[in-house]
Amino acid sequence: MSWRLINWIWHIRGSLSLGPGLSSDEAFERLDPMFQQDGTTHKRADETLVFHKKDQAAQDKMSIFDGGVLSVEDGDPHPVLRYDLKSRALLACFIAPLIFLAFAQFSIILSGFDNGCAGGDRTSEQCAEETEEEEDVEDEVQKELHPIDKFLGAPPPKGSDEEDEAEDEEEEGEEEEEKMKHSPTRAYIFAGIFSVIYIVGRFLESWLIKRRFRKRLFPEDFAQAPDQTV
Amino acid sequence: MQGTLVGNRMIGTEAPVTVGWDNIGRVEGGPIKRFIFTHFQPVVLFGLIGFWYYAPNSIAVASTAIAIGISFRILLLLLEWVNPRYESWQLTWKEFATDLFYVSLGYTLLRMVDSYIGSDALIEGFLAQFNWDTLSWFTSLPLLVQAFLIVFIFDFVQYWMHRGMHVWYPLWLPHAVHHYITQFNINKGAVGNPVELFLIGIGIGGFFDFLPRAVLLAGALRLGVGIYMHINVRFNTPRWWRYIFNTTEHHSIHHSQDFEASRSNYSGIFIFIDRIFGTCVDGEAEVLGLEGGRRMSIREQMSYPFTEGWKTIKRRLNRPASNVPAE
Repeated sequence: MSWRLINWIWHIRGSLSLGPGLSSDEAFERLDPMFQQDGTTHKRADETLVFHKKDQAAQDKMSIFDGGVLSVEDGDPHPVLRYDLKSRALLACFIAPLIFLAFAQFSIILSGFDNGCAGGDRTSEQCAEETEEEEDVEDEVQKELHPIDKFLGAPPPKGSDEEDEAEDEEEEGEEEEEKMKHSPTRAYIFAGIFSVIYIVGRFLESWLIKRRFRKRLFPEDFAQAPDQTV
Repeated sequence: MQGTLVGNRMIGTEAPVTVGWDNIGRVEGGPIKRFIFTHFQPVVLFGLIGFWYYAPNSIAVASTAIAIGISFRILLLLLEWVNPRYESWQLTWKEFATDLFYVSLGYTLLRMVDSYIGSDALIEGFLAQFNWDTLSWFTSLPLLVQAFLIVFIFDFVQYWMHRGMHVWYPLWLPHAVHHYITQFNINKGAVGNPVELFLIGIGIGGFFDFLPRAVLLAGALRLGVGIYMHINVRFNTPRWWRYIFNTTEHHSIHHSQDFEASRSNYSGIFIFIDRIFGTCVDGEAEVLGLEGGRRMSIREQMSYPFTEGWKTIKRRLNRPASNVPAE
């Protein structure tokens, strides 16, 4: 299997036509400020530039990349800048959903060990009964509202004489959902969120870096809003 | 750098810090924008308090609080984009993903760990051991007083824990990781070594009973005030607010690259605690971080307290014995 089939996960590749009149020397000269950042080292040999970044600042506009190669190649009809940039952040974000899925499984196992509510010895009814007993104890310590709060119209606490019993019944359903000590739901949600973030990042950063290279190479096209930050 | 004398300390000799309220930035733009970013914080805070004070019991539940918290964070992310405090703090995809990683750790793994060794779990175990009950001293107080006490008790403990982290090396090691952030964004408060996140979460609130609605009101207070500690939004924060509450400005000074400035503004919510103990510095800073603003990778953030601690121990053990003549 070709390594290239999977390394698109953390590699961003692309190309830009340099147009007429822009030599490789001029192109690299224009791109040079992007590699004059703290934590960045670069080396140029002929038509190729190789760079590495370590502990790059958050303010570095190329901070997502840890290294890469830029080269100017002959194209038809004009020379072409090709780039291959690698990002550990993209790789980490790609793996993150798996980490949170593992956390979800871990929480299910842990709940099972803890109280048997998630596939352990006891039935879910037994667990629910215990949860209700615990809540009854909690209810005993609840007090009435202070006269100031009564005067201002705050709803009475749950379990007080004034409380509408119907509301209690409504909440029981919600509480039963939370009887598992370590719910895996949050971990599943974050696994989903990181999947979305990866997809967004993979496309966004690819678009952004191409735009930044173009801004540096053809500043006249962006004369209205020069990018002074790279 | 010249620095400014605050009390008996020179602030801003190592990195730029704006001391005092006179020279800090103001919201720029039209009258509507200035109006919104002047009154946003108090309106939201009083709105949240009013909501939780009057919401029926069927709505006043934890799931509603979570939904409000998430929605509010999304709104603030939009505000960071609309009205940033500093361009250099602009949120990038990488920063967002990194911050969210720590948020998600807090909601999953750390929550699991906390349920066994967190302060509330330990207090519960302690009370059960002696067959003691929680103290119901406060449940008969007005709801807002209870809410204030919940936040204040936690903040007071956190103040000393945080101050301890800055003056005692073993506690500094896990906390240092959080100080490597070089910009503020809405989720930056979650960034830190898990050991520190555990330590900073220690409280004594578990000893006391409070009405559930007071707990929700306390959550509203934390959300409506604490969330601005790490945020890249320029507000014209009212004078009374910044006298009582911690602000982005205060906390940016705490994160400054200036050593003396970083030893100030320790509280999480109530800056008046710092005022009482003489550690408050009013003003703001843009240049944040440690080691000249070096960004720390997640891998290093996880291992730093242990590797640095080990290096220090080795250095001390290998230190040659001083040549003191025997008497």
